[in-house]
Amino acid sequence: MTTLRVLTRRPGRVIGLLILLLFALMAVAGPSLYSGTLAVDPNAIYSSPSSQHWLGTDFAGSDVLQEIVVGARYVLETAALSALFTAVIGTAVGLVAGYHRGPADSALMRLTDFVLTIPGLPLLIVLSTIWSFGQPYEMAIALGVTGWGGVARAVRSQTLSLRERGFLEAARGLGLSSRHVIVRELLPNLAPFVAMNMLLAVIAFMGAEVALFFLGVVPFSSSNWGVMLNQAVFSGGAMDSPAALSYLLAPLVCILLITIGIVLFLDAVDELFNPRLRERP
Amino acid sequence: MNRLHRLRAPLALAACAGLLAACSSGGGKTSSSQLVYTSVDATNPITAGAPMNPFNASGNYFPSYDTMQLGFDKQNPKDPDDFFPGLAASWTISSTGITVKLQPGAKWSDGTPVTPADIKLSMAIALTQGSATVGAGFLTQGLDVGSVTEVDASTVQIDQAAGGTNLNFARLVLGQYIVPSSVYGSLVPSSIWSTIDDLASADSATASAAVTKLNAIGKAVSAFSPAKDVSAGPFVIARVNPGSAELTRNPDFYALSKIVPSEVILRHFSGNSDIWGYMKSGELDSAPYTSMPTNILDSVLKTGYTRVDSASFVDAAIAFNESDAPYGQAAVRQALAYVIDRQAVTKVGEPVGGTAASDLTGMVESATKQWLTPSQISSLNPYSPDQTKAASLLTGAGFKKSGSQWLLPDGTPWKITLQTVSGFSDWNAAATVVSSELDSFGIPTQVKLTSDFATYKTDMAAGKYAVGFWLIALGPSASAAYQRLYGQDDGYTANANGTVTHADGGGNWQHTPTSYTVNGTAIDPGLLTAQLATLSATAQQTQVQQLALATNEQMPVIPIWDYTNVNFTYDKRFTDFPGASSPDINGLMYNQPGVWMMQGYVKAK
Repeated sequence: MTTLRVLTRRPGRVIGLLILLLFALMAVAGPSLYSGTLAVDPNAIYSSPSSQHWLGTDFAGSDVLQEIVVGARYVLETAALSALFTAVIGTAVGLVAGYHRGPADSALMRLTDFVLTIPGLPLLIVLSTIWSFGQPYEMAIALGVTGWGGVARAVRSQTLSLRERGFLEAARGLGLSSRHVIVRELLPNLAPFVAMNMLLAVIAFMGAEVALFFLGVVPFSSSNWGVMLNQAVFSGGAMDSPAALSYLLAPLVCILLITIGIVLFLDAVDELFNPRLRERP
Repeated sequence: MNRLHRLRAPLALAACAGLLAACSSGGGKTSSSQLVYTSVDATNPITAGAPMNPFNASGNYFPSYDTMQLGFDKQNPKDPDDFFPGLAASWTISSTGITVKLQPGAKWSDGTPVTPADIKLSMAIALTQGSATVGAGFLTQGLDVGSVTEVDASTVQIDQAAGGTNLNFARLVLGQYIVPSSVYGSLVPSSIWSTIDDLASADSATASAAVTKLNAIGKAVSAFSPAKDVSAGPFVIARVNPGSAELTRNPDFYALSKIVPSEVILRHFSGNSDIWGYMKSGELDSAPYTSMPTNILDSVLKTGYTRVDSASFVDAAIAFNESDAPYGQAAVRQALAYVIDRQAVTKVGEPVGGTAASDLTGMVESATKQWLTPSQISSLNPYSPDQTKAASLLTGAGFKKSGSQWLLPDGTPWKITLQTVSGFSDWNAAATVVSSELDSFGIPTQVKLTSDFATYKTDMAAGKYAVGFWLIALGPSASAAYQRLYGQDDGYTANANGTVTHADGGGNWQHTPTSYTVNGTAIDPGLLTAQLATLSATAQQTQVQQLALATNEQMPVIPIWDYTNVNFTYDKRFTDFPGASSPDINGLMYNQPGVWMMQGYVKAK
């Protein structure tokens, strides 16, 4: 009931949730909705939006809406998995480093510094010459493994602050194991922070993977949002002619909508995890 | 004081704006005496900071503007030696070499004359740039220069190495870049010609040592950065900025009266869309071929550009590695040719700059028409889309269909990975249609991209791709076209004695059989192809016809479209551009506008 009340307190939160649910549904059911391959129609290249093709057609006369729906799975699955990897690795490293301090902290933070210095996009471009990134989890591993540095640092700071609190001193005084303290005492207190970071990471990783496809360095699939942008700009002339504009805008609007959805929904998450905010009128 | 202080910022802004306006170098007339011709060198993009050296891989040099050749190719399929005059005013070709008469009054931009010594040095340098091999690669596409002799102050004789009978020798010589010995001479030791002689030595150690020496010289030459551009062409590089190269008219050019623009600006570009943008704003006086969709074509024509179509001797095809099952079977390749609707693929992949391949002979259609008789052309299989024929061919080869999916003869599902290259927008768009057609037929097809063309070529040569896009029919001559199918990539090496050696390893990724049967006669496609380089155009007819018929039947590659060389001209600032009715239009459009100007085209409006 509290959750429902928090969600409905502002209409923006409901809108955010609905947007996220819509895209989640698209990712889960989209490919089954349009089974088989995209139909091509060389006689309807870059046709305008119509009742038959709501968002127009692409360079091969394929339906843009169908491409958006079918392409949602790869984009969202990759972004969600990358965010999960980031949250798991970042939280684990940050918790251990912040709680134990000393040599473990130094070693883990130097590792974190190293990860933070890795330039993400150039590395992915190099990796793409070796990996095909044909499956979402492949790209998610690449993105997640190189993207947890920021979360680790933030979680460590939070941990350092929490470990000085009375309840943790009490836990340690009771002789509870480090594992118990970290998992049962520290982690629940950090969960809201991690969850919000994870949602924000989804936005960042979605941008990163689409950019990689946009640059044209990973597998070509006309139903991938990044490839759609690439084709619209570099071969469809969307920047020079209005014909391919709907083909260019469709994936961009989707990315924008997901970003808005996450930002609006974060407001609710923040209040849900932070009781002090709930007390405000 | 206070008021002045307040005015300082706007005044500074105005000054900056004025400065920028003064520095800007858009196309057209910048003053009454300045006629600026603006274009793009599509094959040679600008690399800021790179040397002004035609032998540097990313050098800033611009053929036909500041970089000259003895002649410029007219792209005549029946006469490979048909060239526009360049630094050579005329030439005589013999069985062993070529005698070149230099342009009277040909001078470098430093005022010194172009001499036979420059030609001799340039040929020696050319031999150091990747052409140097033991035995000099007779009968192939090697340059094979044996000696360069000064006949008189303006005549030079260039001969093939002893024993060489390469019919392409003259065209190779005419197409080399000519550089001044005053600039490049110090990089080449005086003993270079004896080193070149050593290449053909019977002693393998001597020959190998010569290759090593020449390669070392070649590296030094390609790394060389001249302090300034010294040109024998109509223009000379004044400066190279990251965004453009500026070339001014060369007052020492031998045919200066024909050159109207006082300046040429070649814009930098990083992709086709940059060139489209320049055209949309009317900035380019001529624009090279770019793969463009019809919506861009429409907007470019609307801006006022004139489209000039000419033949392009290149064809986009789908090639196979026949050592990968099941592509070694002719029935499989033929079946795929029946499944792929080339008209539909071309409409998506290359709607403006391509026409669907019709004859499927390994040559472009215009060349096929010249080599084959009408009855031979009508006997060719057009492989019109026909899924029933495809299914029957596959069934005959032991394939089965389970539900909607084709199974290989061993019962496993047949899946295709169609390889193409990132950035090759026409291939990628075409691959989408091909995969859709094959999917619908019952062969799930995945399109995969290689990050760049250099890697693609390396991987292709290493046999890593079973099915992939490939350019064939390169060049107007039948010899060059069939070298692409039955040459080095197919394991054939031509020997000096007119024979060929065939090896399965080392670069052979096509793996076609060494024997085809055409009308009951067995032929060796590699041997016939090698022979083409030693026969005159008239004597090649039989071999070309055999190769064309064999290729049409065996389908070692499936040609998809013949490229059309679509150029654009803009007559707002200049007029009298080459047009569809101009003589030798294929050759003119194949070359850069500098050649048009040398031929008397391009006048001020």
